[in-house]
Amino acid sequence: MRLTRRDFVKYTGFGAASLLGMSFLGCMTKETTKDTLIIGYAEDLKLRGDPAKIDRSIPKFCVLERLIEYDLSSDDFVPSLAKKWDVESGGKRIVFELKKGILFSDGAEMDANAVKFTYDILVVRKHSVAPRSVEVIDDHTVAFNFDEAWVLNFAKLQDVHGLGVMSPKSVKPEGDPNGTLVDLIGTGPFKVVEYVENQYTVLEPNRYWFEQTGLEPKIKKLIVKVIPDEDTRVLALRSGEVDVLIDNYHGGYDYTPRNQLSALKKDGFKILTKNIPYTWIVVFNYRKEPFNDIEMRRAVNYAINRDEIAKIFDGWVRPAWNGMFPPEVPGMAEANIRYEYNPEKAKEIVNGKDVGEITLIVNKSQSDQILVAQLVQQQLKNVGLNIKLETLEKGVYKQKRNSGDYNLRIYYIGGSERTFYMRIFWRFLPPEKPWKVYMSDNVTEKAIAVVKEFDKTKRRQKFIEFYKALYEEAGVAPLYYEVVAVAEKPNVEGIKFEYSEPRFYSTYVKA
Amino acid sequence: MLRYIARRALQIIPTILGISIISFSLLYIFPGDPAEFIVEARYGVEPTQEMVEKIRIEMGLDKPFVVQYFNWLSKAVRGDFGISWTEDKTVMEVILERLPISAELFFATFAISVVFALILGVISAVHKDKAIDHICRIYSLLGISIPSFWLGLILIWIFSVQLHLLPAFGCCELKHLILPVLTWCFSFMAIKTRFVRASLLEELSKNYVITARAKGLPEKLVVFRHALRNALIPIITYFSLSLHHLIVGSIMVEVVFSWPGLGSLLVESVFKRDFPVVQALVFLSGVLLITMNLVVDLLYAVIDPRIRYGD
Repeated sequence: MRLTRRDFVKYTGFGAASLLGMSFLGCMTKETTKDTLIIGYAEDLKLRGDPAKIDRSIPKFCVLERLIEYDLSSDDFVPSLAKKWDVESGGKRIVFELKKGILFSDGAEMDANAVKFTYDILVVRKHSVAPRSVEVIDDHTVAFNFDEAWVLNFAKLQDVHGLGVMSPKSVKPEGDPNGTLVDLIGTGPFKVVEYVENQYTVLEPNRYWFEQTGLEPKIKKLIVKVIPDEDTRVLALRSGEVDVLIDNYHGGYDYTPRNQLSALKKDGFKILTKNIPYTWIVVFNYRKEPFNDIEMRRAVNYAINRDEIAKIFDGWVRPAWNGMFPPEVPGMAEANIRYEYNPEKAKEIVNGKDVGEITLIVNKSQSDQILVAQLVQQQLKNVGLNIKLETLEKGVYKQKRNSGDYNLRIYYIGGSERTFYMRIFWRFLPPEKPWKVYMSDNVTEKAIAVVKEFDKTKRRQKFIEFYKALYEEAGVAPLYYEVVAVAEKPNVEGIKFEYSEPRFYSTYVKA
Repeated sequence: MLRYIARRALQIIPTILGISIISFSLLYIFPGDPAEFIVEARYGVEPTQEMVEKIRIEMGLDKPFVVQYFNWLSKAVRGDFGISWTEDKTVMEVILERLPISAELFFATFAISVVFALILGVISAVHKDKAIDHICRIYSLLGISIPSFWLGLILIWIFSVQLHLLPAFGCCELKHLILPVLTWCFSFMAIKTRFVRASLLEELSKNYVITARAKGLPEKLVVFRHALRNALIPIITYFSLSLHHLIVGSIMVEVVFSWPGLGSLLVESVFKRDFPVVQALVFLSGVLLITMNLVVDLLYAVIDPRIRYGD
């Protein structure tokens, strides 16, 4: 058959039109995505040097996994790398059976030796969340020994101040707990492929994790860029240079400014928040006058309008009317606590007393807390308390706190979910330390009862008793419940919070 | 000349000692217990009394202040500022890692600022009280008055957020350099422009310039061959002295643009209470300033043969 010029034009035209149509249909049916997600974060991830000092966020929840996790909603410690465990010696010894077939991102198997190596890093440093010792029983069984028999032993193993299981090859000399971190190798969904100190870290999916979970990675690269200045971070998101901003939720710094979240949302950015068991409070110096008097502590609680305080943060945090922790915390809702805003009652209490000038101290490095302290100062002045606000540099704040040279101070209790239990210990349990927030025979006894109880049903009841005792003694004045926030471009999908932390394993970025 | 050099070199020793005392004292000037800072920086936990006491002995903080100071100084003069409390490296390693990054930003800013400050200063002086002089003077005033962090954020907003032309942060490619350099140049150049203008105007008012003009020399020759050459002596001195900005001169610019240089290091170290690094940066910055001062003094003779040193 002879192909005429007209046929040629006809067939090629038809072919081209078909191809165009198919590609158009392809576009319609399959969404195109970018293969890289860029995160803006305030701090360097510290992936070299002392392995105990790696950053508390991304390396710990993207690269490493722990033996167990803590689920706040059920108040359960749940298996992660550990399959199951036995509690021995009344709770001083926990023997974990590890899951088999879990691979580090370099292909080596995660075993009891790797677990021992990891926790020995904390043991040799006498870290605050370290066990006393770790023993390898066999390749997949490891025992942890602790000094005390309490539920905090579980909390320590998943606390953000500690570590997730890392390969002994992560350090040099290999397997030496005193060694230097050279290449963080974990079992988590991502592996570190490039790290430039103080600039950026490049992570890629850990194929073994995805094979194990049966999930498909939707991004090829996760890049974490270090942007210390909070305004620059927001501008970087607005300019499109980063896709996501995540908070460091540790303690009132290095987060996306709350007063910019609404503006970002208005401009089309997505804001994800997760409530965490973290509460900003006024701490009383209850060892000296005037706040050794329970009535005076109650007066402060009556005088504070928590709604007004929450408004400082543009509605992104919740006022702390329902006790020391938000209602989703174990036992908190059942405790049925409700702080009352009653300035008249506060005035009645204050009027009869000659308390003189009261010093309220606040740490200057937590800039939002300065605003909070100013409002607290004003509210307390309204009921007749003469408050001298001292905005102090971190070192001076600590010095005054340690020497007890204050009457009131702004501080926090709780933390992310995984820090919840340890902060009960760090804020309310003996031994007495300057950073403890309130201790009395009754409250301390009840706090100890909480952490000594391994049965979660009984523990819930003990939590309720602890919250009520603290409320009745007006041990602290809760102000607002903190959140952790993620600000992301509209084309980012699939970020979800697990245990207070944003996870990226099913995240993708629409092109 | 050699005697002069020796004398001047000896003269700077008391000044360096003064700087060293101030640098070392920072550890105690800052409120709080240094031993507690070390525990916090090293272990990342609230310090217990036991830990604090252990560190106090280990670090020699239990010794008298003078003993601690001389121990520190004897090492510092050999470039040993100890170990960083937060980085697990020697302080010099930490500084040397960041120095090239700062140097890149500084020398780019310095070179551009010098060239444009000379051009603007000369134009401003030559056209004194004319429109262009007023513009240059307003620029100088703005350059000195506008805070770098504010200008930096405005430039990011314009060039990154609105125009998508330049990156908002990062280092170390050419595109990353433009906005920080522009920001720093704005203030760096402003002061220098004023200085060039003032120096040149002073020379232009001198008798030899009037004589040159009376002789009928073209204005270009009067300005560039005679007045500017003489005005250059204080200008070079002033410009050279600004070299000490290399160490920590760009703090705000580095912080705003996430430029991981020595300025950022100083801020981080202050916040983390990494005092060995803070001490070293303050000390080295002071020493660099004094050294530049000495070098410039010695260079006077080269720049201006009329200057002699009494030998």
